[in-house]
Amino acid sequence: MSTPELSLGSIDVITPEHYQQNGYPHAQWTYLRKHKPVFHVEQPRTDPFWAITKAADIMEISKQPKLWLNGPRLAVFVLSPGEEALPPEALPLKHLLNMDPPQHGQYRSLLSRYFTPRSVRALEPEVSRITTTVLDDVMGRTECDFVTEISSKVPVAVIAEMLGVPRQDWPTLFRWTNEIIGGGDPEFQRGENPTETFAQARMEMFQYFTNLVAERQKHPANDVTSILANAKVDGAALPTLELLSYLLVLVVAGNETTRNATTGGLLAMIENPSQFQRLKSDPGIIKTAVEEIVRWTSPVIQFARTATQDTVVRGQKIKAGESVCLFYPSANRDEEVFDEPFRFDIGRNPNPHLGFGIGEHFCLGSNLARLELEVIFRELAKRLDRAELAGPVARLRSSFVGGIKHMPIRYKLGPSHD
Amino acid sequence: MKIVIDLKLCEGNERCVAAAPEVFEVHDDQSHLRIENPPSALMEKIRLAIRMCPRQAISLSDR
Repeated sequence: MSTPELSLGSIDVITPEHYQQNGYPHAQWTYLRKHKPVFHVEQPRTDPFWAITKAADIMEISKQPKLWLNGPRLAVFVLSPGEEALPPEALPLKHLLNMDPPQHGQYRSLLSRYFTPRSVRALEPEVSRITTTVLDDVMGRTECDFVTEISSKVPVAVIAEMLGVPRQDWPTLFRWTNEIIGGGDPEFQRGENPTETFAQARMEMFQYFTNLVAERQKHPANDVTSILANAKVDGAALPTLELLSYLLVLVVAGNETTRNATTGGLLAMIENPSQFQRLKSDPGIIKTAVEEIVRWTSPVIQFARTATQDTVVRGQKIKAGESVCLFYPSANRDEEVFDEPFRFDIGRNPNPHLGFGIGEHFCLGSNLARLELEVIFRELAKRLDRAELAGPVARLRSSFVGGIKHMPIRYKLGPSHD
Repeated sequence: MKIVIDLKLCEGNERCVAAAPEVFEVHDDQSHLRIENPPSALMEKIRLAIRMCPRQAISLSDR
């Protein structure tokens, strides 16, 4: 956090390479919250936007989904050097994240009851079983890559299970999500550039789910794919693009974010050993611990909104057609909301973080993510005697979803007691 | 002061219950008031519930 030379002219909170090299730009967000909470950004390789860094402003914008639309610009994406922007119609997706009222509500309500605390509680035995298997697989060793061998495995299994994807296809599903979110990172790139990587993964996933949907239309099963495959909006079945996009987004959103909260959560525990000891000696603290992990890691860095008419945010005039970029990790360190925001405190309560967003587009899977994090950290607290970094953390080149690609750890893991 | 829950917005995420269990309960995936006129001692918890509601479904009305 030693960046004494900050000034508005040197602020850059959007270049993906910086996230890869340095992690989240918390010093810069802190500077913006203090000096310029509504900050106009013009940089190469992306269209201009207003950076919004205060929690109150993000809440205010999020609760006016008719004034502030998702459709025109989902998030601020930055092109890779030499990459050319494609027109949006070249790679169409139509899903909850880029739908606006009233359509968004119609589509969201098709599934919202399957993601309530009550509904996801029924999945706990399955999540526990998956977690135990994943941990058993690395027991007896002393080093592993926590991301590829542990944190990435649980969410993909859970969402695949919910969707009814057969087990032999889970690794493929996992690769597609890496490519769709991490296409800007050389490790996951296929083809010439991120856009090509995305296009290829999207096409393969659409093909895969076209077949699964056809199968579930003939023989409905007890899974989310069957619900969507046979659902109706305004009396008609879902159009193909909307149906396939819905499934794609469930897979991608259900994977990356929970994986990164898990990885970042363990990293926070390694960096704050007293907090991990506290969790081990007081398992009843797990619910506040999970909220703090989500606040601390804030896996989604930003989404954008576009103004439908001239408006004002914190005294700053914003014209119709201009977009704002909502930086959730910044809101989650907002001094006006949190005491000692830079302290990782697993007993923090209340914890009104915005890690799942808020309002119309509040994370549909938040309760599932909470359940997964609860089970994973409950098991880690029981079984993990110690853990330390065994090498450098490798971060994803993305300013959209904050990712840790690899985290080598040295550890001692005990047996499951169940 | 009257607490208003917009049931069209409410999805039963139970954050209000976590914030103010004396006032809110969730059944059938919808939030309900346990008491109509909460004592002023609970106002702070109610304001927290309003803030924590992810769907921004809770508000206070003067009526």
